[in-house]
Amino acid sequence: MKTTGIVVIGAGPAGIAAALAAAEVGTSVTVIDEHPAVGGQLRWRIAPLRGLDEALDGLPACRAAETLHERLAASGVSVLAGAVAWGLFEDGSLAVAAPDGGFRLQAEKIVVATGSVDLVLPFAGWTLPGVLTARAAQIMLHLHRVLPGRRVAVIGEGLDAAELASDLEMAGAEVVLRAADPAQVVASGEGRVERVSANGERREADAVVIALGRQPDPELALQAQVEFGYSVRLGCHLPLRSELLETSRPGLYVAGEAAGAVDLAESFAEGRLAGLAAAGATPERIATAQEALARARSPERSAEVDRMRPGSLGEARPETGTGAPWTSWAEAAAGGGQDDTLARVALCRCEQVTVGEVRQAIEEGALTINDIKRRTRAGMGLCQGIFCTRAMALLLHASRGIPLSEIAPMTERPPTRPIPLASLVEIEE
Amino acid sequence: MDEAPSNGAGDLRVWHHPVLGELQEARPVQITVDGQPLVAREGEVIAAALLAHGILVCRAMPRGREPRGVFCALGRCSDCLITVDGEPNVRACLTPVREGQVIWTQAGLGRWEGPAG
Repeated sequence: MKTTGIVVIGAGPAGIAAALAAAEVGTSVTVIDEHPAVGGQLRWRIAPLRGLDEALDGLPACRAAETLHERLAASGVSVLAGAVAWGLFEDGSLAVAAPDGGFRLQAEKIVVATGSVDLVLPFAGWTLPGVLTARAAQIMLHLHRVLPGRRVAVIGEGLDAAELASDLEMAGAEVVLRAADPAQVVASGEGRVERVSANGERREADAVVIALGRQPDPELALQAQVEFGYSVRLGCHLPLRSELLETSRPGLYVAGEAAGAVDLAESFAEGRLAGLAAAGATPERIATAQEALARARSPERSAEVDRMRPGSLGEARPETGTGAPWTSWAEAAAGGGQDDTLARVALCRCEQVTVGEVRQAIEEGALTINDIKRRTRAGMGLCQGIFCTRAMALLLHASRGIPLSEIAPMTERPPTRPIPLASLVEIEE
Repeated sequence: MDEAPSNGAGDLRVWHHPVLGELQEARPVQITVDGQPLVAREGEVIAAALLAHGILVCRAMPRGREPRGVFCALGRCSDCLITVDGEPNVRACLTPVREGQVIWTQAGLGRWEGPAG
C-alpha cells in the first residue's frame, strides 16, 4: 500500500487551496481528481472571479484554473488527474482507480473536496435528448465550444440560471423560455427536444438546461459514515464539522461545496483552512485562515455553520409545512391534482422508475430512501442515486409528512463510480 | 480547419466567443457514427463531436427503447453510453475522439463486439 501525508480528493477551488496550504507547511500532499485536468468547476465557467485572492481577482474562472494549475506544479504537490478515489474504508485507506492501474493509499489526513453536482428534479420530457444540466451546458459551451442548442429553455431562477442564460447568449444561442418551477415544465418532441412549454407559454426549442442550483456531493464522507446534519437552507444533509472543518471521524476533513459552501470565495477559504489544519500548521497561521474564512462568509452562513457541529443533529425542522426548497415540486409530484403528468415521468433516469412507481412504493409502506430503493430499484443505477435521491426525499416528505430533516441520505457504498474490474485485481497485487 | 465547415445548418460550434476568443484550429479527426463519416476535432470528446453535428441520441434505454443523449457531461449519469470500436457502454462525454474510431449508437445494454478479452 502506498502512503502519503495528506490526500486531498477533488482539485476544484477548495481542493487546490487545501493542497497548496498543506504543501506550504511542508507536508507531502497528493491531490486526486477524476477529471483530466485540475480546476474543477473553474475549468468550465467564464464568470470573473471575486474574493479568492488578489492575483485571481477579475480573471475569468477558466483562466484562473490555469493559474492554479501552475501554482500546484510549482508547489511540489503530487497531482493524480483522471483518477477516481472510489472507496474510503474503515482502516482509513482509500481505493483509487487511476489511468495506469488501481492501488490503495494510506494517508495521515484526508481532505474531501469533491464539490457539488447539479440539483435536478424530474419534469415531463426531462429524459429527452437535448435536456441537459447546467454544468453539461457550460462544459459543452466553454470546454468543447459547442452549443447544446440554438433555441434553449432555462429552468431555474437563481444565480446558476442567470449565469447560464448569460453564458448561452454570449455563445450565440437564444434563450427562448425561462421557468422557475420544474414541475410546470413540459419538454416534448420526436426523439429529441423540439418544444417546451411552461406556465402557459409554449416555444419551439432544441435544448433545455436545468439550472436549479447545486447540491453538495460529499460521497466519500457519507461512505465513511461521519455524522451528518440537516441544512434548512439547502433542504438536505451536510457533514457536520468542527471549527477547523474536521468531521466526526478524526483526520477526515470536508471543505468547499461538498460541505455546503455558498460560493467560490468561501470554498477557497475553507480549502485553505482545512489544508493548514490537516498539515498541523502553527496556531497563528490557522487563526489567520479562520479570519479570512469568516470574511468570506455571510453572517447567515456563519450562523448555519455554527449550528452544524459534530455531536449535534444539524438544524432540526420538526414542522412538516412548506418552506424547504422545492416543496412546490414535491406537492405536484405527490399527485392528487387534476393534471398528473408527472406520474409517468422517470424519477430514476438510470433504472427508468417513474414518479408513479415511487409513489406506489410509498403508499405500500416505504418510509426511507433505502426502502424505496429496495422496492423499486430507483437509485440503484449507474448514477448511484446522485440525480434521484433528492426527488425521493421530497416525495416522501410530501406524501407522508416526514420532515426532510428526518429523511436520511441513501446509504453510500464503494465504488462511487463504475470502475474496471482490473483495478480491483491490481489493488491486491 | 481554416474556416467554419460549410455544413452550416448542422454546425453548432462556437467559433467566436467574447470571453474565450476565436476557436483555435485543431487537427481534423475522421470518425464514423452509425456508418456515416464525420469530422471531429482532435482533443474533443465523442459527445462534443456528436453534438457539434446535431447528433443528440447516444443510446436507446432497455425499457421502451427510450432515446437518451448527453445529460450531465461529467461521467456521472451514464445516459450517453455508446458503442466504440465494438466495446459497448463507453461514456461519450469522457472519451476522446481518435482517428478511425467506429461508433454506433447503442441499443439497451449493448453487445460486445470488440477484440476478445
